[in-house]
Parts: sequence; structure tokens; C-alpha cells
Amino acid sequence: MRRDSRQGSLARVLAAGIVGLGLCLAASPARAQDTTGANTTRQTPPPGGPPRNFALPPRQNLQLDNGMQVTLVHYGLVPKVNVLLVLRSGNVDEAADQIWLADLTGQMLKEGTTTRSATQIAEQAAGMGGSVDVSVSPDQTFISGEALSEFGPRMIALLGDVVEHPAFPASQLARHRADLQRQLSIQTSQPQATTAAEFNKLLYPDHPYGRWFPTNAMLGSYTMDQVRGFYQQQYGAGRAHLYVVGVFDGDSVQQAVRTAFSGWAPGPAAVGNVPKPVTERRIILIDRPGAPQSTIYLGLPVADPSSPDYMALVVTNALLGGAFSSRITADIREAKGYTYSPFSTIATRYHTAYWAEVADVTTADTGPAIGEIFKQVDSLRAAPPSPQELAGTQNYLAGIFVLRNSSRQGIIGQLAFMQLHGLGDDYLTQYVDHVHAVTPEQVQEMAKKYLDPQQMLLVVTGDRTKILKQLQAFGPVRAAP
Amino acid sequence: VPANKLQTMLWAEADRMRGLDVTQANLDNQRSVVKNEVRVNVRNQPYGGFPWLDLPQLANQNWHNAHNFYGDMKDLDAATLQDVQAFFKQYYAPNNAALVVVGDIDTDTAMAWVRQYFGGIPRGPALQPTDVSEPPQTAEKRITKTDSLATRPALAVGYHMPARNTPEYYAMGLIDQILLQGDDSWLHQALVQEHGFAGSVNGGINLLGDMFDYDGPMLWTFYMFHDAASPGDSILAVVDSVMDRIRTQPVDSATLARALVKERSFLYDMIEQNRDDLLASFSLFDRDPARINQLDEDFAEVTPALIQKTAEQFLRATNRTVLMVQPAAKNAAFTGAAGGRVRGKGTGR
Repeated sequence: MRRDSRQGSLARVLAAGIVGLGLCLAASPARAQDTTGANTTRQTPPPGGPPRNFALPPRQNLQLDNGMQVTLVHYGLVPKVNVLLVLRSGNVDEAADQIWLADLTGQMLKEGTTTRSATQIAEQAAGMGGSVDVSVSPDQTFISGEALSEFGPRMIALLGDVVEHPAFPASQLARHRADLQRQLSIQTSQPQATTAAEFNKLLYPDHPYGRWFPTNAMLGSYTMDQVRGFYQQQYGAGRAHLYVVGVFDGDSVQQAVRTAFSGWAPGPAAVGNVPKPVTERRIILIDRPGAPQSTIYLGLPVADPSSPDYMALVVTNALLGGAFSSRITADIREAKGYTYSPFSTIATRYHTAYWAEVADVTTADTGPAIGEIFKQVDSLRAAPPSPQELAGTQNYLAGIFVLRNSSRQGIIGQLAFMQLHGLGDDYLTQYVDHVHAVTPEQVQEMAKKYLDPQQMLLVVTGDRTKILKQLQAFGPVRAAP
Repeated sequence: VPANKLQTMLWAEADRMRGLDVTQANLDNQRSVVKNEVRVNVRNQPYGGFPWLDLPQLANQNWHNAHNFYGDMKDLDAATLQDVQAFFKQYYAPNNAALVVVGDIDTDTAMAWVRQYFGGIPRGPALQPTDVSEPPQTAEKRITKTDSLATRPALAVGYHMPARNTPEYYAMGLIDQILLQGDDSWLHQALVQEHGFAGSVNGGINLLGDMFDYDGPMLWTFYMFHDAASPGDSILAVVDSVMDRIRTQPVDSATLARALVKERSFLYDMIEQNRDDLLASFSLFDRDPARINQLDEDFAEVTPALIQKTAEQFLRATNRTVLMVQPAAKNAAFTGAAGGRVRGKGTGR
């Protein structure tokens, strides 16, 4: 199921707020003051030491005879271990009348196996200090469990049973269909989700990446035969990669992996279904009467992670809108106060990607905010950034790369990303070097090559009576169908 | 931050504490940003403020716990430069702060930098103690909130917690594991697995943090999104049967053992990922950062009898607040799109 990147738990929303406040204070340079509070001269910050080398934790790769890939990573000091099975299977494998069938299939896995009831799965996982979770993304399905280290082998056995021997009890189907219908109803009431859905629909017409929402009736029609059919077509060892990350005994974990997964059939191979995204300047308005803010998605298709341009594009995105200190955020939030949580992103799918600037802006400031975003894009296309500005972005990216690799979940996420996009180890080992190798001229070149405002798709959800004229300043406006 | 930038960060934090550059211009700008924060998280969101902003205001009586802590638009508009400067001077002061550094550092070098940059910052004004105490709740509260943007009903229940660091507080930590955390929990099994009222039931102690990083009164909260076909009252009847079960008989040893394993697993994650927050909380609230080392023991001392006694005392209906969200009638049917005018903050009263 696609989720807008801001549709997280409440804690995440609020954490973002707290972090945002902290960063905004840090971003506005303080003046040194004497004890009476009078301003004196600005100080120069101590530069800090040279960056330390980042060493990847040791990894071990195996392949089982049925084709399943296995990666074991010894990491951390706390006696816990994460187990994640990643399948090359997801919403991309749904037909036009099967939207969210991948999600329904994933949820049904937890409803029991041929030898364990749903309650037994839940209680056994909890007894290891963890839980079994299933989530589905456009390209991948994630079946995960975490446990105290001593239970690692038992968690591997439990996940193996869940993915290989699902019972698919008919009694539970109606409940899960109703859950998905409720989620659909709630998601389609959120302006961020509906805006993202329309943006993807127009970018990826007639492709699963563009089909975010099923209809209520479609969800209600799914049968257990369809769930079984999806499972038989889209699951199997040949398209599975198991990651074990944390503190564990290598021998007993390897043994447990072989015992749990060697008997799993390879299954049908994954079908690479690469879309042809549409690049075209269009302005779409979704009416939300009375909305105090307008939700903006502005962007276009760009190079994906398999492209040689990708790392330079990552740096360009961070400098333009991806980092908190980026130009667009500094402009529309820190200088103008139009919005709270603007960001730009490179959304990656298998062999395709798009860049988008996303923001919720005050209704009255909708036109000015969009104008500023275009202005910042144009400005980067017109001239390279200063070496000093670029160095700040590069330090930021190198720093968060280390942080991103400093948790079990983070390491697994990186490895699963590399696996999907076919990236070798040098993606990790050379990441910091590649970031630092990008030149100011390359940043300008990336902006010129990929971020042409005349080719950008703009989708806005807001109060039509108040924003139609503001949008018309940028071209003809169409209502969302 | 990368470990090599520790000195830079200590300088920056000290520089900020010594004297923040608050001007009318940056105050006006950040006021606008914060108002947009409230709009995106509350006013333009279905279920905006549910239940994290709504429930404390409904459950508590003391103004300090019961006001809109996100800030009403009129309060945000009313804040003056002098208000902000005075607030900063009073609270962002060394005598009201704990500094924690966790990571790949040399302790002696780090301490020398801390002394160098923070040592000369003068104390702020003495802090006056604030009375945040809550009078005991004696009758159940039930509130219905109409949400013009929502499409399905939702239900939240909050119980006042025992005081921090008491045996009952640790018992509630385990009760949270037994009743609410994970698919094996009693509420999940009853409300989701058995009755299918919702896809999940979520919550915990302190929705805006965790059971360790708060001081003063707190709620244990759970909430779910359901269908109009299952009215809140019928869900509450099942909730009551779960509460009666834990209040009227001691939990068996397998249940307690599983709760302890879950709690330990949670603590390990906290110690690995939130060690700075734990140490800062125990420093600020207890003046005892070493408490981090005894948490496991404090939970291990909880007995089935204490769990039952704690449940009996705190999980009574008269100690709880129930909030039911009703979608405005025009949204109640599936429409596939939001509609309706945004009305006020909807704090439910």
C-alpha cells in the first residue's frame, strides 16, 4: 500500500515537529551576548575534527539451493536480532482490478499456518520479545520479526512457517476486507494522500505505480481464491532475500535458516514491469472546500538509482529541497513562513524515479509559494552553487549516511534498497566519497538536465474558490477527474 | 551528528543557551511556521488532534494539564517579543538543563569542551515550582466530538496513571504489555482478532513519548478507528470485559513471563536508541541518571498480585475518559473524497 511519506505514526509527525524546531533554532545563527544580553560580535564556530572512517559491519552472504539469498550482518552490542524476509513482490504485481490484493495477501499470512493459529503466532513471537509484521510496498513485501538474541533461530523458524505454510482461513477474509475498506476511507479523506495519489496516477498512467487507491467495491469483491492465486504467483524462494542483523550466533542462525527455508519452492520468477512515466507540464486542482492550507505536489520523472547520474542527483536534491537547510525550505519556511514541513524527495521505484517538492502551504500563500519554488529551481539551473554551500550539503549527506547505518533497521533498509536496484557493495563503501566528489558545476548540470519547470506536473488540493486564480498564473488549470 | 563534530555542536548549543537572537522579524516568521504546523497536523487533517491533543484536555482538570498545549491561534498571535524573551531567559538556563552526550567520544575531552563552552553561562532566575497535580477522578467522562473531515468513527480511552516510580507505575508498564502492546495483547485479541472492530488498537503510556520521559500526571491511552456498524458502546462493552478479567484475577505465570520478555526487549531498544533521552529524563526528573541500570530489576519485582491490585485501583471506569469521534453525517457514507468545512480546533468541548 502506498503511503505518503508524511503519513506516519503520530509520534513521527510530532518528532518531526520537535526536530524541525531544534534545527530552525540551530539554523539561525545566534549572536554572542554578554551577560546583560547586549549583542556583541559574531563568533566563528570551532570546525571540529576530520571525519572518521566509517566501517561497514561484517557481512556474510549465502544462497540456498532453491535460489533464496541470505545476508547475515553482525551488528551492535544490545542482545537483539532483527530478521527480515524481503520478497520481490508488491503492488506492482497487481492487475488493474486487483489493487491492494498484495496487501490483503500479506495480512492474511498472519492469520495462521497449517500448524499454528494466528494467536499462537502472536504469542510465540511475543514470547521471544518481538512480533511478526507484514507490510507491502510498490516493489517489495516485507515479512519481519525481531527477538532477543537467544531466540533468533526460533524467530527464523516462525517466519519460515508464516511465509511457506499459510492456512488462509476463510473465516478471517471478511474482517481484513473491511479493514482495508476502512483504511481506504480514511486515507482518501487525507489531503496529502489524495494529492500524492493523483500525482502518481498522472505520472504513471496504466501502470500499477499509478494505481494508489482501489474502489470500495473492488476491495469487497476479493475472494480467498484470489488471495491464494496471488500467493502462488508472487511468492517463492527464488525472489526472496533474508536478512539477519544484530547480535546472534552465526552457526545456529545459519542452521536455522537452512532448516526453515531449504524446502521452500522457488516459485515463479519476478516480472520486471518498468513503466514509461509521462513528462508534461500540467496543473491539476483537487477541490477541498474550506481548506486552510493547500497541499502541493510539484515534480517530474528523473534518473533512478541504477543511473550514473543518481548520486549527483541525490546531492542536488538535498541542496535544493531535501535537507532542512536547503534553498526551498530556507525560502518558503524560514524566510516567508508559508509552510511548516516542506521537503523535496526522489521517490524511487524499480528502474524509475520521480523528483517532487511537497508542501502544505497557507491557502492565501499558495501562488506565492509555488512561485518561490519555481524561482529556486530556476536559480539553481542558472548558476552553480558556491563551493561552500555545496560542502555544507555534502557534509550533511555524509553525516546522515553514518546515522542511517547505525541501527539494525537502518542497515536492513539500506541493504534491501541496494538489492532492489541492483546496486553493488560500492554503493555503500563509496557513498561518502561519491557524495564529496560532486562538483558545483555537476549540481547545476543535474538541475538543468532533470528539473525543467516547463515539464513539471503540479497537483494541488485546496479551496478552489480561493486558489484557482493563484494557480492560473502558472498556466491552464484542470480539475481532477 | 558525526562524532568529529562534537566540539562544533557543543559550541552551538552553548552559544544558543547563552543568548538566543530573538527578534520581532524571526518571531513573526516562526509564529507563521507554527500556525502552519497546527493547520497541517490538526485543522486540515481528519482526526486532527485525536487523541493525543484532545484526551489530556478532557481527562485533566488542572489548567497546566488541561489546556490546548499546541496553542490556540489567538494565543500564538498574542505572544509578544517580550513574552518569548522572558520564557527563554527563565527556562533555557543551565540551572534548568541536563546535558547528555552519547556516542563514540573521549569522555575527558568532551567534558573539557562542556566546561569551556557552558561553564561561564550564568544561572537563570530561580525556578518557581509549578503545581501540576491532578485531583483524583471520581466519575467516568464520556465525550463525543464531531469531526467534519472524518469518514469513520473512532474511539479513545485514557486512564490516569499511578505516580511515577511507584511499584504500581512499574506494574502499569507490564499491564501495558499484557493488554495493549503486540498482537498477543488482550485488547488486540478481543477487539481485532475476535470481534473485528478495527484493524489495530494502538496507544500506550504517554502518547507523545514513552513511559520514562515525562514528569507529573499522565494517561495510559488506547485508541482505534472503527465502523459505524459497530457503535462505540458495543466496543466499550468488550473493553470492559477485558478490564474485568485483569481486575478480578491474578494473571498466570506464562502471561507475566511473556510481559517481562516484551518489556526487556523494549528496554534494550530504548537503551540502544534512546539512551540520551533516558539519561536526560532521569537527570532532570530524579537527579539520578543511574536509574537506567535498575529498570529491569524494578519490572522484575512486579507480582501477579500487584498487577491485579494496580488494575483494580487504576483500570476502573471512574478513572477513565472516553472520547468518541463521529464523522459529520455527509461524510459517513463512503465518498472517496473529503468534504466539509473545517470548523475550529475541535477539542471536543
